[in-house]
Amino acid sequence: MIRLAFRNLFQNKIRLVISVGGVALALLLILSLDAIFTGVERRITVYVKNSSADIFVAQSGVRNLHMASSSMPAFVRSKVKAVPGVDSVSPIQYVSNMVVIGDERNLAYIIGLPEKAAMGGPWRVSAGRSRPDPGEAIIDRTVAKNSGITLGDEVEILGEEFEVVGLTEETASLVNSVAFISEDDFTDLRGDPGTISFLLVKVKDGELPASVARRIQARVRDVTVQTTGEFANQERKVVKDMSTDLITIMNLIGFLIGLAVMALTVYTATLSRRAEYGVLKALGASNRQLYRTVLAQATLSVLIGFLVGLIITLILSFIVDGLGLNMELLVSGVSLVKVAGLSLIIAGFSAILPIRQITGLDPAAVFRGK
Amino acid sequence: MYLSRRNLLQDKTRLALSIAGVALAVLLILVLDGFLTGMNRQITSYLDHSPGSIIVAQEDVVNLLGATSLLPTAVSSEAEAIRGVEEAIPILSQFVILDLHDKKQPAYMVGYDPDQGGGPWELSAGREPRTKREIVFDRILAARHNLKIGDTVEVLDNEFTITGLSNGTTSWMTSYFFLKKTAAEDLLLVPQATSFLMITTSDGADLGYIVQRLNKISGVNALTKTNMAANDLKLFAKIFSMPIKLMVSIAFLVGTMVVGLVIYSATVERQREYGVLKAIGAANHILYQIVLLQALTASLAGAALGTALAYGAGELIMVTRPQFLILYAPADVGWALSAGLGMALLAALFPVRVVAGLAPAEVFRK
Repeated sequence: MIRLAFRNLFQNKIRLVISVGGVALALLLILSLDAIFTGVERRITVYVKNSSADIFVAQSGVRNLHMASSSMPAFVRSKVKAVPGVDSVSPIQYVSNMVVIGDERNLAYIIGLPEKAAMGGPWRVSAGRSRPDPGEAIIDRTVAKNSGITLGDEVEILGEEFEVVGLTEETASLVNSVAFISEDDFTDLRGDPGTISFLLVKVKDGELPASVARRIQARVRDVTVQTTGEFANQERKVVKDMSTDLITIMNLIGFLIGLAVMALTVYTATLSRRAEYGVLKALGASNRQLYRTVLAQATLSVLIGFLVGLIITLILSFIVDGLGLNMELLVSGVSLVKVAGLSLIIAGFSAILPIRQITGLDPAAVFRGK
Repeated sequence: MYLSRRNLLQDKTRLALSIAGVALAVLLILVLDGFLTGMNRQITSYLDHSPGSIIVAQEDVVNLLGATSLLPTAVSSEAEAIRGVEEAIPILSQFVILDLHDKKQPAYMVGYDPDQGGGPWELSAGREPRTKREIVFDRILAARHNLKIGDTVEVLDNEFTITGLSNGTTSWMTSYFFLKKTAAEDLLLVPQATSFLMITTSDGADLGYIVQRLNKISGVNALTKTNMAANDLKLFAKIFSMPIKLMVSIAFLVGTMVVGLVIYSATVERQREYGVLKAIGAANHILYQIVLLQALTASLAGAALGTALAYGAGELIMVTRPQFLILYAPADVGWALSAGLGMALLAALFPVRVVAGLAPAEVFRK
């Protein structure tokens, strides 16, 4: 019976391509949306993860970078430095703003770096320098490429012109990019020299970041202290919590489309083999055996569709990567399990209509040519 | 014509499934489009309802939502000295992330002076804040987290009591909340700071002249509210257009595949009849028309059903998830039908190949 399912499925190649293609595209809808948000989640935490810090200290109540602002008095730095277990402390200035190149305005985290900053600077520089001096900026390579500029050109940040002296990798997401300027420029343009945005802390060898974080929290007032892992998790959670409802709606529509396509395919395939099913029934095949054939056919189609959908998503992720769109498609294990589960449900449901067809099939009618 | 109808209607279940497939694909395209239109409306809601017609921001800042702005302190009085300016209403605003029931909720905090304006434009319940510990919260966000007037919410580790609930101040990404400007200054540790000035002008004042004069003040950028709203829309369109285009393209392809599958199956089943028609002298283009007509009927019926479903789905989504605003324009129906037409034309390519390759003599040999 499984052989029959195989034969039914592969006999008409065009129908196979269309049906598997339809299911693959429906599953691709779910996979690619998941992949877009997983990509954003990864890219949005990439600065935090590559900051070289063990601990992030922020204004009280501030637990992440994205869509947030943090401001602390500069003296907090020495208080944190004095906490046992702290090896080094590096302040950064941060504001969410724009990198302006001609008419192009690119949303960016603007990071003000102190001279010789040991933490919080660019981690992968593809061209130029990794630390900006006054009047200089380091920006993301794809942002620069998309706007047609390179090293030595000028960009506008916080209303001032900066010379691009470095181009970084992995610092752009669908939402924004990261740009680095000197702390002196940052405070001249934005602010108050007496304040800092975040403190990046390195702990001494042998110390656990979580223990040192607890110590800082207990000894320094009006700050929120988290390990780098916790800080990145909070950042990821912002994207996840924002997108959950949207993803649920899109998944439901993708699921329904997949179901309609699959039901149509299995129904059409069963219908065209109606006579054969009738002959099998006349030869003594039980309804259950025929149901199994239909179900096997549906499961096979959906699984092939799932694999094709996955392959297209992976190909899309390469294409998107190559196009320099600041968008990353990342297929996660959770997403794979979810879509595989949905595929099996689709296969089960789509077999209902043809099974009803077979149940009502009169073997004698087949021989009468009906 | 008759043959097309008979082929299509011969198996009603198959036809129903194909129309459902196209309808769902069109539904997805329309919902995505409606979602984008609704989001655009929500993005500019504050600018649409705040007082004044000109906004003064920090130099180089052209967006309300995309960038933080801090104005030099003397700007307000300098702005009010310009002929035609009635009032310069200050706000201090900033995105913050609220932790509500273990969920991260990005929110746009607006610190304003209730005597001057710039706060919530419609209260569904309660009143505006009177003290530094009071807050007006978005009605939908409050309902999602079971918060009522008199409850407290934590903003940057400070507790505020909800005194009012505002209408029209939410979106799926973020919601607005309002507190006294002095309270926002304390929260952000920026005493006396102002992010934006909203400029109201006297009747008949020349906006162009006022914008020009305002831009002569050092360290500021003045622009009309319309321009700032357009900048915000452009910024968010840049972020969302690519994923939405990707989704719409996939939905279109799915619809095409569905129609293609149905018309292809119907054509293959009737292969002998097409062969006979060819044998008795029917030109290929006549047969193509028959195939195309079937594809058109299935696609356009699917597009019409999809449009009706999209309106229903939009309402359902907005009732169950009120933070989403899904808006359809009459032109969207045209788009849906065009999508259906496009799907039909592409889908007809599969069966047309079958008909074109058909040898009339074959049917008599079988």
